Amino acid sequence: MRFPPFVRSPYAGFLLFSGMLAVLPLLLTNDYYLNVLIFIGIHAIIAIGLDLLLGYTGQISLGHAAFFGLGAYITGVLSAKASWPPIAGLVVALVGVGILAYVIGIPTLKLHGHYLAMATLGFGIIVQIFFKELDFLTGGPSGLVGIEDMVIFGYEFDSDLKYYYLVCVSLALTLLLSINVVQSRVGRALRAIHGSEVASSVLGVNVSRYKVGIFVLSAVYAAFAGWLYSHYMTFVSPSSFDFMFSIKLVTMVVIGSLGSIWGAIFGAALLTSLPEFLYVFEKYETTVFGLILITVMIFMPKGLLRGVEDAVLAGVRVVRGKGDDK
Amino acid sequence: MNSPLLMNTRNLSRDFGGVRALRDLDLDVRQGLIQAVIGPNGAGKTTLFNVISGVIVPTGGSVFFRGEEITGLPTHKIAQKGLTRTFQNLQLFADMTVLENVMVGMHCMSKGGFFASAFKAPWVIAEERRVRDESMEWLRFVGMEDHSATVAGSLPFGSQRILEMARGLASNPELLMLDEPAAGLNSRETGDLARLIIRIKESGVSVLLVEHDMELVMSISDHVTVIDQGHKIAEGDPETVRSDEKVLKAYLGEE
Amino acid sequence: MTLSQQILQYLITGVTVGTIYALIGMGFNIIYNSTEIINFAQGEFVMLGGLLTVSSMRILHLPLPFAALVAVIGVALIGTLLNVAAIRPVKDPNPITLIIITIGASIFIRGVASLIWGKDPYPIPAFSGEDPIQFFGAVIQPQSLWVMGVALSIVLGFRQFFGKTITGKAMIASAFQPRAARLVGIDTRFMVLISFALSGLVGAVAGIVIAPMSMTQYDIGVMIGLKGFCAAIIGGLGHFWGVVIGGITLGILESLGAGLISSGYKDAIAFGILLLMLFFRPQGILGKTKGDRV
Ligand SMILES: Nc1ncnc2c1ncn2[C@@H]1O[C@H](COP(=O)(O)OP(=O)(O)OP(=O)(O)O)[C@@H](O)[C@H]1O
Ligand SMILES: [Mg+2]
Repeated sequence: MRFPPFVRSPYAGFLLFSGMLAVLPLLLTNDYYLNVLIFIGIHAIIAIGLDLLLGYTGQISLGHAAFFGLGAYITGVLSAKASWPPIAGLVVALVGVGILAYVIGIPTLKLHGHYLAMATLGFGIIVQIFFKELDFLTGGPSGLVGIEDMVIFGYEFDSDLKYYYLVCVSLALTLLLSINVVQSRVGRALRAIHGSEVASSVLGVNVSRYKVGIFVLSAVYAAFAGWLYSHYMTFVSPSSFDFMFSIKLVTMVVIGSLGSIWGAIFGAALLTSLPEFLYVFEKYETTVFGLILITVMIFMPKGLLRGVEDAVLAGVRVVRGKGDDK
Repeated sequence: MNSPLLMNTRNLSRDFGGVRALRDLDLDVRQGLIQAVIGPNGAGKTTLFNVISGVIVPTGGSVFFRGEEITGLPTHKIAQKGLTRTFQNLQLFADMTVLENVMVGMHCMSKGGFFASAFKAPWVIAEERRVRDESMEWLRFVGMEDHSATVAGSLPFGSQRILEMARGLASNPELLMLDEPAAGLNSRETGDLARLIIRIKESGVSVLLVEHDMELVMSISDHVTVIDQGHKIAEGDPETVRSDEKVLKAYLGEE
Repeated sequence: MTLSQQILQYLITGVTVGTIYALIGMGFNIIYNSTEIINFAQGEFVMLGGLLTVSSMRILHLPLPFAALVAVIGVALIGTLLNVAAIRPVKDPNPITLIIITIGASIFIRGVASLIWGKDPYPIPAFSGEDPIQFFGAVIQPQSLWVMGVALSIVLGFRQFFGKTITGKAMIASAFQPRAARLVGIDTRFMVLISFALSGLVGAVAGIVIAPMSMTQYDIGVMIGLKGFCAAIIGGLGHFWGVVIGGITLGILESLGAGLISSGYKDAIAFGILLLMLFFRPQGILGKTKGDRV
C-alpha cells in the first residue's frame, strides 16, 4: 500500500507521464531548458535499462557508458563516414550492441558482487580505449565530427522542439516496454533472481539465461540512447563515455530508487539537471556528487523517491494519530 | 514398499576438501510415499539435497529420476523434470509478495519470454490471469490465502516455511524435498505442518523429508533412512529404525 | 639498443610499476580480508600520499623523509575516518551498497583534492638522485630501486605483523571467524578500523615512492587504484603472496605490451588480462575456490 491506487497502476502513471511530457514545452520560458530536457530523456532511457539490470535483477554494471558509446559511435561512424541514413544506423547499432552484450554477458554474468563490478568496469574501460585509439574510424581522442542531422523517412528533426518530441516518443516507448516486462512472468523471474538465485533455479528458472537476457536488453536501450545522442550532437568524443559516466548512470538508478522505473527517470532528471542549475558551483560538482552518493546510500539505501515517500507516509501516520495504524 | 521407484542415487559421494560429506550413498525414493532422511548434525543431509537438486555437483556417483540419469544437469533442468525442494535456511524472495512468490513457483507451468512480455501479446494476458488464479489456489491449499498481498520477508517465521512449500508445490513437482521444515516451529505449527505434509502426499506428490523432530518423522513417514558421516547406517519403517542399535549409537555418540 | 636489451628495459619498468600495483593491491586485500569490502577509494590513498608529501615539503618546509612520514600518518587517519564516517553507519551492508559508497567516497576525496591542490601535476624529487644505473645495456632509475626496496620491506613487515604480533593475529582471527573472535574478547570493530588505517598507510607509501617517477596529481588515483585491484584479483583476492605475483605479472605484461604492441592500448591490455582472469580463473593465480553454502 505504498502509493495511492492511481499511481500504483503503472499504465495510468504511464499515460499521465506521457501527457506531461507532451505539454511540458509549452511551460518553458527558455529554449535552453529544452536542450536540458532532451539530455534528461536520453539519460532516462539508459537509466531505465540499467534499473532493470541493477534494481530489478540485482546485477551491477559499472560499464554501461560503453554500450551508450557504442550506440553513438556505430551510428555516428555509419553516418559520417558512409552517409548511411539514421534508421539504418539504428538497426546496425541495436543488433551489433545486442550481439556484443550477449557474447560478453555469458561469461560476465556468471560472476557475482565485486567480481561482476570489476568485469563490467574493465569492459567499459577497454571499449573507451578503443574509441580513443581507432583514429581512422572514430577520430581519436578529439572526437568524431560530421554526423548528419536526424532524418527519419524523409522527415527532418531540425529544431530542438522536434527533437524533444522524438526523444519523448523514444522514452515513452522504452518506458512502456519496460513496464510490460516488469509486470510479466519475466519480470517476476528477474526479481526472484535478485531475491535468491538458488531458489529461482530449483523452481525451474534458467538463471543465467535471464541474467544475460536482461543485460542484453539494457545494453540495447543504452545503444538506442546513443543513437539519439549522436544525431542530436552531430559530434561524439570518447570522454563522454568514460568510467565516470558509467558511475553517474549507476547513481541515477540508485538515487531514484533501485527497482523502480519511475525512480530511474527521476534520478536521470535530477543528476542531469543539477549541474545545469548549479553551474555557479561547477567547481564543487564532483565533490557534491560524491557526497550525495554516500549520504543517499547510508540514509536512504532504497533511493530518494522511496525515502521521501516513507517520510511522507510516516508524517501522514503521525498526523492521523496512531489509531489508524490498526 | 512396492510402489515404483521415483528417484534413486547410486554410490553418491561429495567431498569438501578433506570433509567427506557423502560417501557412496545409495538411496531409493518410491512414488507416493513420505520418506525421511535423518541423521545427526553434519551427517550430510543438506549436501544430499544439494547434490540431488543440482545445486552442487557430486564428486562421484549418480542420481536418477524416473530411471533417467540427471547427475550434473543444471538445477533448472532438474526442476523442470519435476523435482523441487525447500531450504533449511529459508530462501524466500523476501521483497516480493506472498502471491508473487508462488507465481514464481509456476514459472515452468507457464510461458512467455522477453519478446512476448515486452510487447504484451494477447495470450500473455490470459496466461498471467491463469497463473494468478492457480497460485491463489495453492495459497488456499496451504491456508495462506489471506496473506497473499503481504511482503514475504515480513511474514512470521513459520509462515515463511509454509510459503516455501507452497511455492515448491506450485511448480507441480513429482518429488518435493523438504529440508527441516519444522525447524523453528512451535508445537501447534508442527502439528499443522504434519497434516499439510500428509495432504501433499494425498494429492499425489511424493515427499522426501529431512527433519530433526523425531516425533514428526516417526508419525508421518512411511520409510526412514538414517545417515551418519555421509554413510547410510540404517533404513526401514519407523519402528525398525527406532530400535536399531547403530542409529542409537550415532545419535548418542553425538550427544 | 638491441631487442633483448629493449625487452630487459621493459621488464625493469614492468617490475617497478608492478610492485606499485602489488602494494596498492595489498591495501585492497587488507580491507577485504577484514570486511569483505572492496574499497574503491584505495587509489585516492595513493594520490593523497603523494600530494600530502608535496604540501608538507612546501608549506611546512619539512625534508622529504619527514614530509613522507607526515603524509603516511595523515592518509592512515583519513583511512580510519573513511571507515568511521562512511562504512560503519551502513545499516544493510550488501556488496552493491558498499561498492557504491566507496565509489562515492573516492569521488568525494578526489573532488576535495582538486579544490585543495588544483588540477596541476606536482613533482617530488627522486630520493637519491637521477643518475641512471647501467644494467646489461638497459638502465635502472635509482628510484626504481627505492620502489622495489620499500615494497619489499612493506611486504616483509606485514608478513611479520600478521604472523607474529598479537594485533595482526587478532585481525586475521576477526576476519575469518568474527563470532569466535568476539567471544574471546577481540574488538572486531577496532580491527576493521586498523585495517583501514593500514590500508591507507600502504596506499600512501605507494603514492610517495612512485611520485618521483610519474608526478602526482588529484586524479591519478582512479587508474592506479583499479590496476591495484586487478593485481589483487589476478593473484587471488585476499591472498597475501598472490597480490605480489599478480602485481608484478600485470606490470610486466602491461609494459611489454605497451613497448612491443602500442602504448595507447596499455590500459586495455591490463584490463584485458583482468577479464580473461575473471572469466577463466576468477579465484586468481593462487586463490582457492570457495563454494557458497546453501
Ligand atoms: N559448501 C561447503 N563447503 C565446505 N564444507 C561443507 C559445505 N557444505 C557442507 N559442508 C560440510 O559437509 C558436512 C555435511 O554438511 P551438511 O550441511 O550436509 O549436514 P546436515 O546433515 O545437513 O547437517 P544439519 O543437520 O546441521 O543441517 C559438514 O561437515 C559440513 O561442514
Ligand atoms: Mg542441513
